[in-house]
Amino acid sequence: MTTPSRTFLLRRHLNKLRWLSLGLVFAMLLLLPMLSVYQNYAAAHAYDLLSADEKAFYDLMHGLTAPFTADPAEDLDAIKGTTWAGRFFGYKIGDPLSAVGQLAAGGALYWPLLFAVLIPTLASLLFGRFFCGWICPASFLYELNTGLGVWLDRIGLRPGRRRLDRRLKYLVLAVGLGLSAATGTVLFAAIYPPAVVGRELYYAIALNGFGTGAVFFAATVLFDLLVARRGFCRYLCAGGALYSLLGRYRLLRIQRVPASCNDCTKCNVACEFGLDPMRDGFGQECNNCTACIAACPTDALEFRITWHDQPYQGPGHLGRRYRRQPGGDTPERPADGGEG
Amino acid sequence: MQRRDFLATASRWLGLGLAALLPFGAARLLAPASASPPQARPGQRNYLRPPGAKQDDAAFIQACIGCGNCAEVCPPRCIRFHARDGGERLNLPYIDAQARACTLCGKCMAVCPTDALTVTRRREIDMGIAQIDRSACYPWVDTGVCGACVSVCPLGEHAIGFKMWNQYRPVVYDGCVGCGLCVEVCPHPSKPIWIVAREQGSVARHSL
Repeated sequence: MTTPSRTFLLRRHLNKLRWLSLGLVFAMLLLLPMLSVYQNYAAAHAYDLLSADEKAFYDLMHGLTAPFTADPAEDLDAIKGTTWAGRFFGYKIGDPLSAVGQLAAGGALYWPLLFAVLIPTLASLLFGRFFCGWICPASFLYELNTGLGVWLDRIGLRPGRRRLDRRLKYLVLAVGLGLSAATGTVLFAAIYPPAVVGRELYYAIALNGFGTGAVFFAATVLFDLLVARRGFCRYLCAGGALYSLLGRYRLLRIQRVPASCNDCTKCNVACEFGLDPMRDGFGQECNNCTACIAACPTDALEFRITWHDQPYQGPGHLGRRYRRQPGGDTPERPADGGEG
Repeated sequence: MQRRDFLATASRWLGLGLAALLPFGAARLLAPASASPPQARPGQRNYLRPPGAKQDDAAFIQACIGCGNCAEVCPPRCIRFHARDGGERLNLPYIDAQARACTLCGKCMAVCPTDALTVTRRREIDMGIAQIDRSACYPWVDTGVCGACVSVCPLGEHAIGFKMWNQYRPVVYDGCVGCGLCVEVCPHPSKPIWIVAREQGSVARHSL
């Protein structure tokens, strides 16, 4: 049997591109507060009054931005904020969860905020949980944390591999909406890791140091290490729940091609969200991160434009189970797959 | 048996509910509500809201999503946050005028993604109103000439000026919007100028 040659653009490199995207977003979250401080110095017109350290910082930032701006105090306002809410060349972009949370807290729609979350919402309808895999600054740290877990495993410290019910995060979302309505506070702002990370980096760099959100984030990292791999994203993240709901009927999906699959389970191991790509178990939780595509040795996973997943298509045609069974047709889907 | 099933189901849901409450509880426990800083004088506003903020505190808390964009665009970086305290005010912005005051540039109002800060004309901003302690202010007790507050005021003669016939004794007019720049620059160690809510303040009338 020959492997059908199904290739698409950058198939092997999508996961690297994703890391590039995550790294760029994270670097932006580090750079923007520094630019804010630089703008503060520039607006004060008091270079001579700065200390030696501040002068070095000023010179560095000036060197970085001088080719692009004539007036740093004004021009550098073009890109501001975090992934939670920000301004990008005059257009305000916000996280859909911020609009949902504010709607729950205040009970009233503020249409400019809805306009700001429009593009992320539409993108989530098309691409599903892509924010979690490709943009979220907390994901960047959580994935590094997963790598740390692998290293710890090698020296004998076993990270937690518990499986909880992934529907828990929808309950977190619902409870958060109820609590926001009851207290009149946008509670998601304090427990949503990308909002916390962006804000705490800003506090640490431009203001008086980390706030308590850093402690909260450290607790989620420990949860991931001690309880479940990527546990917060999978079981507790309210934003992930919202994106999962938005992406339920997403149009861009990863699907398995059984004709070139050999049932090697590498995709299942690579999937940070504990999904089951080898048995076509993607669902609304899949964040299109392409780690399974990068891990697949036979190129049996590909992007397709369709609004629903395939049911289990049977064992891969290159694998042993397929050759052993008489017809090679679709057998029952194994009962142990899926949950968690 | 049915009763046991019911108890099992109920305890499972209770456990799930507690698990779902966990992140919110953790966030709240980490940032307990704290008392506002001690007021040196009755009615003194130690923490000002940024300009254009909703007057009603509860409405402001409902509207603010804690993104921090207002501080990021603030040229004097006067906007700070309840980062380690505040309870339900966690991550909400405030201005401590004694440390660094607002220059009324209006960038925060323009960048705010919600209606927590709405774009307001400079003269219509209402962060409070300045009050002067005439028993401490240097010119008022004849221990020197000063006029720092009058020179720094971004609203000029609408907000603060010198009392007629006595060149250096400052008086506040009702054009004051409470930006707090006068509080920041006041050289007196006890800061005999401070911001109160507008309805609590008293102003001098323009009279010549």
